[in-house]
This record gives sequence, structure tokens and C-alpha cells, in this order.
Amino acid sequence: MLKCGMSGTQVKVFGKAIHALSRISDELWLDPSEKSLALRSVNSCRSAYGCVLFSSVFFQYYQWSASVKMNDNDTRSNLNCKLGMKSILPIFRCLNSLERNVEMCKIFTRSDKCKIVIQFFCRHGIKRTHNVCFQESHPLQVIFEKNMCTNTLMIQPRVLAEAIVLFTSSQEEVTLAVTPLEVCIKSSNEESMELNSSVYSEMLVGPDEFEFFQIGVDTEITFCFKELKGLLIFSEAIHAPIAIHFDFPGRPIALSIDDMLLEANFVLATLADEPSRASSSQSLCLSQTPKRSDLGCSNSKAGKKDSKAIEQIPRKAAPKRLHPAETLTNISALENCSSPITKKANGDVSEVAESSVSDLEEEPGSPGLRKVKENH
Amino acid sequence: MKFRAKIVDAACLNHFTRVSCMVAKLARACTLRISPCKLHFILADSAAGGGVSMWCELPQENFFSEFQMEGVSEENNEIYVELTSENLARALKTAQNARALKVKLTNKHFPCLTISIELVSLSSSSRMVTHDIPIKVIPRKLWKNLQEPTIPDSDVSIYLPLLKTMKSVVEKMKNISSHLIIQANLNGDLNLKIETELVCVTTHFKDLGNPPLASEDASQDRDPEQMAEVHVDIRKFLQLLAGQQVNPTRAVCISCGAVVPLMSQLLSGPTLWSWLLGPHSDVVSHKMVHFDLLHEDVSLQYFIPALS
Repeated sequence: MLKCGMSGTQVKVFGKAIHALSRISDELWLDPSEKSLALRSVNSCRSAYGCVLFSSVFFQYYQWSASVKMNDNDTRSNLNCKLGMKSILPIFRCLNSLERNVEMCKIFTRSDKCKIVIQFFCRHGIKRTHNVCFQESHPLQVIFEKNMCTNTLMIQPRVLAEAIVLFTSSQEEVTLAVTPLEVCIKSSNEESMELNSSVYSEMLVGPDEFEFFQIGVDTEITFCFKELKGLLIFSEAIHAPIAIHFDFPGRPIALSIDDMLLEANFVLATLADEPSRASSSQSLCLSQTPKRSDLGCSNSKAGKKDSKAIEQIPRKAAPKRLHPAETLTNISALENCSSPITKKANGDVSEVAESSVSDLEEEPGSPGLRKVKENH
Repeated sequence: MKFRAKIVDAACLNHFTRVSCMVAKLARACTLRISPCKLHFILADSAAGGGVSMWCELPQENFFSEFQMEGVSEENNEIYVELTSENLARALKTAQNARALKVKLTNKHFPCLTISIELVSLSSSSRMVTHDIPIKVIPRKLWKNLQEPTIPDSDVSIYLPLLKTMKSVVEKMKNISSHLIIQANLNGDLNLKIETELVCVTTHFKDLGNPPLASEDASQDRDPEQMAEVHVDIRKFLQLLAGQQVNPTRAVCISCGAVVPLMSQLLSGPTLWSWLLGPHSDVVSHKMVHFDLLHEDVSLQYFIPALS
């Protein structure tokens, strides 16, 4: 059971988070836990993941009580709430007017039905209630140790926004090239080889424009910047710098904003640097949140695209060091619902790894396949 | 072939950006002609464009602090390149607070017009932005199609009213009919008219003034009250009006043609000459409207062919 309340200003920030995540996907997971409320979104090709985590102190009041604990030890049930952007975005559409008019916003769930209730208590005694049905689905989390990245930059969002303006909407991908001396944001090379192509643009930014500049390895990574725009929108509302973590091509890039009350993380896949074959975008390593009480049923309910390797990764704790065997699963594992692994409550990581690899190899369509082979 | 130029003054840069945006609104792809003293944006008459043509002329010294060019050869000391005008406009728009802007012809995999911008950033270090705009060099044998159009004899020349006013009027008219009738006389009267089966709407502008007549004999015996009339495609006219962000210093409309053409010349503000005349416009349908705009030092001539 979730119960939380927000003031008008907080609603604006909350709404901005939803707007930012809408750039990633048409679906959103509302994932409450004891100490925080997470909004998560993954795009359909698994190349972008966004999560905005609101700490319980962000809200005027926040209460989450898990439903009856099941037999498993130390497991908490999740709300498993997946909302369509089409239903939730219009509710938080005009943020400026919401900020002005809303005195209190309450969000709560009903234990009996799959419904979220959002109530706006506005000026002049007006009360607006939205009942939004949700689909039961396990939220996904990305497995990416951003603090382990060799390159870290911290920059004010305005600089990134200025760089984004250089690129037209026809150019989907942008390349970030770094050396210890400078950072270059430029149009992806792939796109500008023909004569009648779009303009090739680049912007060089010196190290002194960054609040934090640590480059361990010279690298050039390419990613879609459509999703990045979402983060930029959100960061304007928060006025906090954006931290960028990345390594070499193929490894995801993580962009995050860390404020005292909330934390936003956007993880984007980057193009693998592959001279031998056409570059393929690396899919992200995603997992369903652990501590699910009823694995068997829930997996069968979840659609095929939701099946993921199950791993024990505590949510609030700092991401632990990747298990050596986990490198195999650093590829989105699309596993069959009928796979025996899923029946286990606490999936043993190494076991999962092996079978997911074999599952991967059987599935021809998965974009993550090539990655598996490269990473060893 | 070489071309290098530099703009350091913010006002010049803004002006150049505005001109480029205006050209982008008038022509999707156009020719840039670089000569020692001037820059031209040219859109030659084309059937695809509906016979519209444009000639925009800028004196280079009013914009560039440095300007060096070497044409195709000594006798033909000019460069003609074709580019997508929107690319240039967009690249220039990113140079809002630039300390300096350099334009040069380069060859990176294919010929480009490279715009290098030195932006001022808060931490006082410069940020470099580079745009490589793909271009196509136009061979010398095609240059004759891109020469300055000759202004044919006109029947009536008239100064235009505020472009913004005309634009709001014509924009509403566009919803009713796509056929616009422009009428003007030597008495300073201008009418914009649309006619359909159900309705006829006319907007009258009076006391606009007429510029001094070019050819005295043709219009000597012309009754000042007699209206010269031209039918044009309303969208082409709107396209011209939409591109004008600032009211020109001088705007004249000239209608040319054998039969009662209507000419209005707009001269106001910086001169922007855009010619809607095609260099090889039909002799039979000599009718056309010629707009002559001046934005400070940039002249634009725009020719819209008359509808038959």
C-alpha cells in the first residue's frame, strides 16, 4: 500500500521526472519501497534505461507498507505497477499551472485493485481525482556499476543543452570523444559520409568547464541523444550538475543527477566499436527487481519482453562489485518464461549466467547476442 | 579555388544570420556566389519552384572583417556553390554569442563550407564549434543561368505598406483561396484581393506612394487611377512575406508584363533583393510580380510569375 503526498512545487519536479522518462519509453514503472519511490522506464530495444528515485523525505509524507509477507525469508513484495505514458503524462501535463494551483497532491494505491489514485487538491476547493489502472509487471533495473567507470565528467546541464542544439533531429546519434585535454561532442561519423548528408557539427569543450574531470582512457563513444534530452529537461528543474560515467565503446554510458532528495540515472547503450561487422548497439543489462514473492506466477504473467535474469542486487545499497560470472549477463538476457531458472526464488548468479548465455545463443533476434561473444 | 572570411562584430553576425534565415525561408536549396566584393544567394527560375526566382546581394565588406577569395580562374574570379540554405541558417544560429566566426571552403571527404565558431563561455575559455556544410561546386558552364536578372519594363511601381500588415491579411486570405490578385496604380493605391464563388475579399491600401518611374515613355500616358493587375499563387507571396522578420528599409513591388501588370516595389530597411523572375521566364506570359526589398545594405529581389 502506497500513500504519499506532495506540495505544488514537488509535483512539478515529479511531473518533470515523468516527462523526462517519457522520452525513453511509453511505459513507466512506479516502484515504491520503504525508503523511496522509484520511477523507471526502459525503451523497447533495451538501449536506454531511466530511473528517478525520490527519497521518502522528498514528499510531504510517505508511507509504503508491503502487503503480507510471503513465506520466503527477507522478501518484500513489489507493487509491480506499470503505467502507460499515455495515461500518466496527461495528468502531469501543464506543470507550471500545477505548481501554481495545486496545494496538495496525494498518490495512493488501493490494495484490492490494480489502480493508482492521484488526487490534486487545488485552490478554490477544487479536487481532481485520477484513477489510473496499471498493469502488473516487474520493474526492471539496470545492472551497471557507474562508479567503476574509468571516465567521469561532471558538468552543468546548460553546456550539454548548448551542445545538443547543434544537432538536428535528423541526426539520431551523437559521439562523445574525450582525451585528457578536451572533450568533443560531435555528429556520429556513420551518418555523414555521403555527399547530400546533413551537416557535420562538433563542439570542443575544455576541461575547465567541467566541475569534475577525470579521464582514465581516451575514448570515443556514440549513443542516441534523444533520451539524453529527457535528462536535460529534468536537470533544468533540479539545477544540479550532471555526472557522466563511461568507458569504452560498447559499454553503457550513465548520466546521473544526485540531489539530496532524489537521484536520477539514465543509462544508455553505446555503439560497439567493431571494424569487422556493422556496429550494433549494445543492449543494457537489465534485471527484474529481486525479492519477488511469487516468482512462478509472476513470470508467466509478465510478457516475454519482461523476462530477465534474476539477480540479487539490493536496491538502495551502492551497487556491489560485479560478480565475475556476471560479465556474461551484462547483456540483456531474454529468457524463456519456461526456463527452469526462473522458478528459483533466489537465482544463483553463476547458474543464471550460464543458462542465459545458452538461451541467448538460441535466440536469433536478440541484439545482445553479438555482445556475448565479444565480451569474452 | 579558395575562400576564407571572418566576422568578429556581433551586429554583423546577427545581420548575416538574419539574412541567411530569410534565404532559408525563401529557397530550400540555393546557389551561393562568391565574388571579390559581394556575396549572392541565388535561386534561379525553376519549374520545380514554380517559376519563382530570387537574387539576394550582400556587399561583403559590411559583414566580414577579413575576406579572401580566389575564384575558379583569373578571368573568372568567382565561386559558385550550391547548398541547402537551411543548413547554413542553422549553423549560424548556433553562433549567438560568438567571439568570432570563420567561414571557409574546405574539402573533407567532399566539398564543404566550414563554419568555425569561437564561443565565449562562462569560464572565459573559448569553446570551439565547427559545422561542415556539404556543398556542390557549380561548373563554369552553368554560370550563365545564374546571372543577375534584368528588370523588365514595368507598368506600375508602388511602395509597399508594412510587410507585417500584409502578411496578416494574406495569411487569412490563404484559407479562402490560393489565387491572389494584386492590383496597384500610380496613385499609391494597392489592393489585395481574393475571389471565390461565394465571397470576394479585398484589402485596400491607400497613399502608399510610387517610386520615380524607370521608363518615362511607357507610363507617361498611363492614367494614374488605372489599376495594373496580376494574379499570383498566394503561397509564394506568403513565402516571401514570411521570410521577412524585420521590415525592410525600402520595399517596392513592380509588376511587369505586357498586359496590365501590377508592380509594387517594397523598399524599406536593409535591402533584400529577391527576384522572383526567372532568367528565362516565358515570353508569352511576361507577367510577373517583382519585389525589390532593401534591408540596410542587403538587397533582395523576388519574382513571382503570374498565374495564367
